[in-house]
Amino acid sequence: MALSEHDVRAIAEYARIGLDDEELHEMTAYMNDAVAMLKPIVDFDPEGVEPTFHPIGDLSDVMRDDAEKPGLSLESALENAHATEGRLFRVPCILGGGGLS
Amino acid sequence: MSCFDSLSAREIARGVANGEFSAEEVARASLDAISARDGEIHALLQVTEDLSLARARELDGMRARGEALPPLAGVPLSVKDNMNLIGSRTTCGSRMLEDYESPYTATCVQRMIDAGCLPMGKANMDEFAFGSSTETSYFGKTANPWDTERVPGGSSGGSAASVASGEVTLSLGSDTGGSIRQPAAFCGVVGLKPTYGAVSRHGIVAFGSSLDQVGPFGRRVEDVALAMNALVGPGADPMDSTSQECPVDFLEHLEDGVEGLKVGLVPALSEAEGISGEVREGVRAAARALEGQGAEIIEVELPHIDDSIAAYYVIGPCEAFSNLARFDGVRYGYQEPGCATLAEQSEKSRAKGFGAEAKRRQMLGAYLLSSGVYDRYYYKAQQARTLITQSYARAFERADVLLFPAAPRTAFKFGEISSPTEMYLSDMFTISSNIAGNGSISVPLGSGPESGMPLSVQLQGPAFKDRRLLVFARAIERAFEAKGAVAPAFAGKGGEL
Repeated sequence: MALSEHDVRAIAEYARIGLDDEELHEMTAYMNDAVAMLKPIVDFDPEGVEPTFHPIGDLSDVMRDDAEKPGLSLESALENAHATEGRLFRVPCILGGGGLS
Repeated sequence: MSCFDSLSAREIARGVANGEFSAEEVARASLDAISARDGEIHALLQVTEDLSLARARELDGMRARGEALPPLAGVPLSVKDNMNLIGSRTTCGSRMLEDYESPYTATCVQRMIDAGCLPMGKANMDEFAFGSSTETSYFGKTANPWDTERVPGGSSGGSAASVASGEVTLSLGSDTGGSIRQPAAFCGVVGLKPTYGAVSRHGIVAFGSSLDQVGPFGRRVEDVALAMNALVGPGADPMDSTSQECPVDFLEHLEDGVEGLKVGLVPALSEAEGISGEVREGVRAAARALEGQGAEIIEVELPHIDDSIAAYYVIGPCEAFSNLARFDGVRYGYQEPGCATLAEQSEKSRAKGFGAEAKRRQMLGAYLLSSGVYDRYYYKAQQARTLITQSYARAFERADVLLFPAAPRTAFKFGEISSPTEMYLSDMFTISSNIAGNGSISVPLGSGPESGMPLSVQLQGPAFKDRRLLVFARAIERAFEAKGAVAPAFAGKGGEL
């Protein structure tokens, strides 16, 4: 079943990507084309096949010792933020109501 | 006086070590070439003049003190702009990161600098590596040095073009579905996607975490081998949990030849519909050349390989959606001013910060990971990945390497492919080795007789047998005498040494 503009609007809200009406129209056409291109996966019968979530399954993780080491400095971590206050990132109200919290 | 673009990486390093020229003179030659050439192709988003000169002076100081120089001393390098380098911005070709200052240097970039490379600049790319033509960069497209009306491929198009135009000798790119090999093929240079895990990704902006791999571009196979030694030499990177020990000298067997080794042709791929005549003939010519050097040509099958594109366009967008969720305008990236709530700020910042293709990929990923859809697509794509990987394993029981086209055709013109889903088919021959994780390489054959544009083939090998790929690539390079070619319109333009 094809995705409607209503469906795509809901996906955009979930993805937190604002779309204007023209973008929504184009995105809906794209989404339906792309999903059609993925049909081989829907038709694929994988019964009994284990999934591979990582390309080379038998590789071992590289684990370093659990010891404190220098990391990104506070100054570097905050350098690219638009709004900071002391040691913190400053953000607008999280639960609504407006203004900077 | 000669232009530095005629020299190999080894010749540059030897010249610096012998005092024929200084590293600073090489840096200034590269800067001069960039100044003379980049206006026509826009391969670089930033020229890191200060960084390159500072590194050159360090190397010249080492020589003056009688210290041994590293193996790539004075070799000009560009890096894709999704790689952090202190002293530069890392934009990913996106408005979202237009002002983002690198807080640290990526391991792969640092290793190249430690090996003696001069960081000349940051290379243009499709936005967040979403694309096959470098047309989606927020900062404008890059042109192919062989014909500036044509695309350089993508997403690492700036890296490939900066090497093909002779602005630099080496470049680093990243490859999630073909983003090193396809632009290398379009620009007539060597491009290696090493095995997943062979090269650290620490400091690279992530796209698809189970697919991404960093690799080098060069005009010669030997240059790429030297770059690989630098990238893997110091061992596994503790900052990247996928990074593996690769104790291999990529130069050691480079001239060994291919006698007695087996090359697998996959007729379903090399004779597939939609391949241009010259690409089809290029694969046959490469097979004949390898046979002429003593290799045995056999036919092998890769069952389930046809499912690769669909599996990739499930896995890639899902991982991209997850990775790019971090760009919410709070810690870094474009921030829409005057928003009342965090949700509004996030939605508006992402709406204005991301371009059309970046939105498309994330939207597709968001849909495919949603409740009720996940099982039909994402989980099954990972099951398909198992079968694709098993197909490769069986093929490599019979063949030492596989020989494919690198792309279905040579470089296309700007705007020639406007449908996003049609563009996705540009990667039809490269995606499968990202799905399976094994290494693969594009090797130039010279100009195609139909298009006049660079023609290449792709070799794929078993996981962690990337040195073997370079041995085969060198055999092809020997046969076609295509090594070192700078695009004719740019060769020798500026850059005198």
